[in-house]
Amino acid sequence: MKEENMRKHLRYIAVAVSAAAAIGLAGCSTGPSSPDSGNALSLPVKDPSATITVMSIDSLGDPNHDDKVVAAFEKAHPSIKVKWQTIPFNSLTSVEDTNISNKQGTPDVYWADQPRISALAARGEAEDLTSVFSKYKSSFDASPYESGIYNGKLWALPIENSTQLLYYNKDLLKRAGITDPSPDVDRRMTWEELGDLALKAKQAGAVNGLSFGQANTYYQLEPLPVSLGGSVGANGKGNLTPDIDSAAWIKAFQWYGKVYASGAAAKGQTYSTTDPDFLAGKTAFEVQGPWLLPQLPSSGVNWGVAPMPKFAGGKAVTPDGSWSLAINPFSKQKAASAIFLKWMAIDEGSGYIKYSPVTSLAASPTGKKIYFQNDVFATPEGRNAEAIIEHETAKTAVNRVGTVGYIEFETIVGKAFSDIQNGADVESTLKQASADLTVAWAKYKS
Amino acid sequence: MFNVLTTSRGAAPARRRTTRHDLVWAMLFLAPAAIALCVLRLLPTISAVASSLYKSFPGGIVTPTFAGAGNYLSLFGDPQFLGTISRTILFNLVINPLQIGIALLIAALLVRRVHFAGLWRTLIFIPITVPVVGSCVAWGAALNPQGPINALLSAVGGTPQPFFNSPSQALASIIVVASWIGIGYWMLFLISGLEAIPEEIYEAARLDRSGPIRTFFFITVPLLRRPLLFVLVADTVANFVLFVPVQLLTQGGPQHSTNLLMYDAYETTYTFGSVNTGAAEIVVLTTIMLAFVLLQFRLLREPK
Repeated sequence: MKEENMRKHLRYIAVAVSAAAAIGLAGCSTGPSSPDSGNALSLPVKDPSATITVMSIDSLGDPNHDDKVVAAFEKAHPSIKVKWQTIPFNSLTSVEDTNISNKQGTPDVYWADQPRISALAARGEAEDLTSVFSKYKSSFDASPYESGIYNGKLWALPIENSTQLLYYNKDLLKRAGITDPSPDVDRRMTWEELGDLALKAKQAGAVNGLSFGQANTYYQLEPLPVSLGGSVGANGKGNLTPDIDSAAWIKAFQWYGKVYASGAAAKGQTYSTTDPDFLAGKTAFEVQGPWLLPQLPSSGVNWGVAPMPKFAGGKAVTPDGSWSLAINPFSKQKAASAIFLKWMAIDEGSGYIKYSPVTSLAASPTGKKIYFQNDVFATPEGRNAEAIIEHETAKTAVNRVGTVGYIEFETIVGKAFSDIQNGADVESTLKQASADLTVAWAKYKS
Repeated sequence: MFNVLTTSRGAAPARRRTTRHDLVWAMLFLAPAAIALCVLRLLPTISAVASSLYKSFPGGIVTPTFAGAGNYLSLFGDPQFLGTISRTILFNLVINPLQIGIALLIAALLVRRVHFAGLWRTLIFIPITVPVVGSCVAWGAALNPQGPINALLSAVGGTPQPFFNSPSQALASIIVVASWIGIGYWMLFLISGLEAIPEEIYEAARLDRSGPIRTFFFITVPLLRRPLLFVLVADTVANFVLFVPVQLLTQGGPQHSTNLLMYDAYETTYTFGSVNTGAAEIVVLTTIMLAFVLLQFRLLREPK
């Protein structure tokens, strides 16, 4: 009898432990409290003595990354030390969310993905920079600066911008009897033509006909439906009504599904294989950002560059946007953080652009002057690239959808693109994604 | 007689003292585990249940407000979530019997006098020693549409398969990965259980001319009841909270086909920052899992 009781108890304990094992995940909740109001944002004349923690997707310890940026900053501001934390892009948002919402003030400064700035501001995870930094508005290009605005206030400063270009391998095109596409922005290729030519190049021996440098991402694919007159993906109050199953969206993604179904584009490719493949001469066409440029001269590939295509009868559209810096509202080192932000984005024409050995497209006119001094822009193809970049960032760039629900949007739409790439029916996939998004966004509407 | 009486009279208070004394020590030694259980398991459980009754703006800084059953109502009003629940249950109905069935089969084979039994055991156990992330990365590469398994299939005249890229094959592929890791682990427990069954019982069965299949079902399985129950419960819990293969290989896709409750709760909580809805999902998951575990206890109850 006793033994049976004991077994019963053990059984309950076992059940309780197994239950708790599952629940462990959801156990971290925090009580409400407000940011430290006694530590208001300011930009002091004299540097404070401080150590600031910076959370970035860039890494240190690799000669190609930000060691030189940190060293140059610490030389310019000797009393401020920088502690660096590298977080992979895929987990950046959740790590920032967890770190900032525990209100300990770490990190002080963080890399903010521009389309997520509205969400960061609405969540209370970004310091209002308006009083200190809005006077520097004219230092920046309009579009990247605007990406930091939510509800009329400034929440982040851009340190980079981006665009997309169509890179091609002249030798592979020649082998397939394809004429090089024109670098002239007024004579850009159509997506329809690109699909056909990529297939032709593949049939003539290229390993990959066409690569999307960031396959299945909203960032790279947003221009497709917008080129056909579709919206950026949402409308209504606060851009919280999905608009991803319109005729333009369906037609655009039918083309996307077709280039994979035909074999013109390879399914197994990810961002970690597309650039190495192009640089190894395996890919005929690649749609990718300007970060591929500096790697091309030394690759030995006979490369050329053209503007990102548009749909036949559609308009020319390119994506833009990149990274900004934001300050943790719970930071205990706001003055030092503000000094770091200003140095990275504005001082010396953008300390980040000036000292980073990785050539990133700047978000300011002065930064772009530094950027275009890179060796690659001295080559004839590099000069074509420069003209295309200047044109696209000024004339054809369309910001990603501005909404507090951007994270849900990007995640759900990205999965739909991936399904379409794998051959799912376009219309039903987009309709399902639209329904999923409506559910995920309901919390912002109640 | 006299002696016995005095001993028993004198021993009674001593035993009580000993018992009380033992209890103090027992409590002292159990305290670290008990405290850890409370702090790491019980409190989070209570906090998850409480959190599921609130709603808040994503992110965890804006103060939550009480929402009662609001999160549960919106979850159960979403056909996609209902699909996730039935998928999770189906997944467990398949994977648990499959893993334990194969583990038991291999264990039964390996306790027989086979040559190099230790070597086979080690080989089957090795997947456990590889970190789950490593196993998933390796399987992701192996089952890539352009990967070695498809190359092998083509070489022997078969048709290459989409595996993780197909909504009809992805969940089965996840089952393969999880089982490759799990089977060797559960096998070890079953082997020790099998070895604890006295040889005389088998001898008696042989004398009664019981064949191997009859012996397995009427001797081995009933006498393995306890280790089997442990393995079944532990495996069920492990598979209900299975996360890493889904996160690394499919992220719930394609077309939601591998979106299991644990991954969904993770995505809701951490990707979308909806902490309260995520907590409600975890409470639902725990409730379903407990129902399964209780059912298993009932089914495998020892006969009185």
